Amino acid sequence: MTAKDNKGKEIFKQSKIYMPIPQQLGRGDKMGRGPYEKSGILRDTTLPPGRPVHETFEIGFPSGEFDMTVDVELWYLPFGNKDSDPFLWQKVTKKASIEKGGV
Amino acid sequence: MRVPRFIALSALFAFSLLTAVMSHDAYAAEAKKATSIDELAKMYDSTGCKQCHDDIYKEWQQSIHSRSIFGTGRTAATIKTTVAVGLTGWQHSGVKKPEDVQVKHLMICAKCHLPQLAEATDAVAKEIVKNAYIYTDPKASDDAREKAIAQLSKVNINCLICHQRNAITHKWVDGTPAKDTVYGSKDGAHADAGHPKMKKSPIMSESILCGQCHGLGPNFELENPSQCATLYGSYLWAYRAEGGQEACQECHMKKSKLGHNMQSYRDAGMAKAAVDFKVEMLPHQWRDGSKMVPVNVVKVEMLNKAGHSIPDG
Repeated sequence: MTAKDNKGKEIFKQSKIYMPIPQQLGRGDKMGRGPYEKSGILRDTTLPPGRPVHETFEIGFPSGEFDMTVDVELWYLPFGNKDSDPFLWQKVTKKASIEKGGV
Repeated sequence: MRVPRFIALSALFAFSLLTAVMSHDAYAAEAKKATSIDELAKMYDSTGCKQCHDDIYKEWQQSIHSRSIFGTGRTAATIKTTVAVGLTGWQHSGVKKPEDVQVKHLMICAKCHLPQLAEATDAVAKEIVKNAYIYTDPKASDDAREKAIAQLSKVNINCLICHQRNAITHKWVDGTPAKDTVYGSKDGAHADAGHPKMKKSPIMSESILCGQCHGLGPNFELENPSQCATLYGSYLWAYRAEGGQEACQECHMKKSKLGHNMQSYRDAGMAKAAVDFKVEMLPHQWRDGSKMVPVNVVKVEMLNKAGHSIPDG
């Protein structure tokens, strides 16, 4: 997800990865990559069926800024990067503002 | 069936004579292995299905099943990587160069991408590898690359894989699939000279049919077990175990109205149906003593509505 100020300058960027992290050849602590190496699971951060996954991000407004635009995107990246066959699954854009002035 | 009656009847008559004579040879033919991609394609030729099941055939042609060994190019490239990085790099694989690849080596990929490779000789495995190398070779001519793609596209997961070869999982209970029979939702005669019989498959609407390829985890029947697809495992232990009731076919074929063009995230309807995505924001000003600290809290909720984890692999 990214956040930009009123002038379009990026003020926040963070990404999270959801995937089964395969164990290389079913041993040790290394992740396997090619399907010919995947023989176990080190960790599973996939989106599980039927159970919501929640994420919370806190983004500070830069000094003197009262507005920001937040883009939240969910990508499927078959090769783990946006250079190879990426697929934009979901995207939500929202604007946030804080009050000017006040007590 | 829209075959003229006299053709259908004469075809059935001729075939009944042939099957009486060839019942022994049918098993011999089954033992005979394909020695080329062309022979394997002929062994599992489903183009005849188009004659009566045109709509379904066209749906299937749009699916990734119809190009299971080439894929979008990714599959062919991964076959090459499996050989170049995996097989040739492993001390005890017996593969020093691509030409050494045998069927048993390629079953790492073919168990799901081309299960009928089990009925082929090592020459077919070598031919697949050769074409995968040509496809991924930046120095290959466009013509050579196109020919490699065409050759790899001749074999795939077609009608006869799901409706015959893999239509029965429990062979001690239901018998071994017969080469003259297609398996679906009912018993009866089938107006096709090559496949004059039709039988009900007990698993045609069940997830286990798909689970044979979209699997459980490491394939321990292989000498070097690995896993690629694990959706059936996820389906069993994270969906059914939690009370999920639907079969793969419900979403990927029926509700989606995609029929035999089984798709996943690349289909806009499937992608939308699979994940709910909500974003809420709470911009506010935190008070740090006398100083206001403006902050925006962004909350994201993702709900996977599929019957398996996302993503797979």
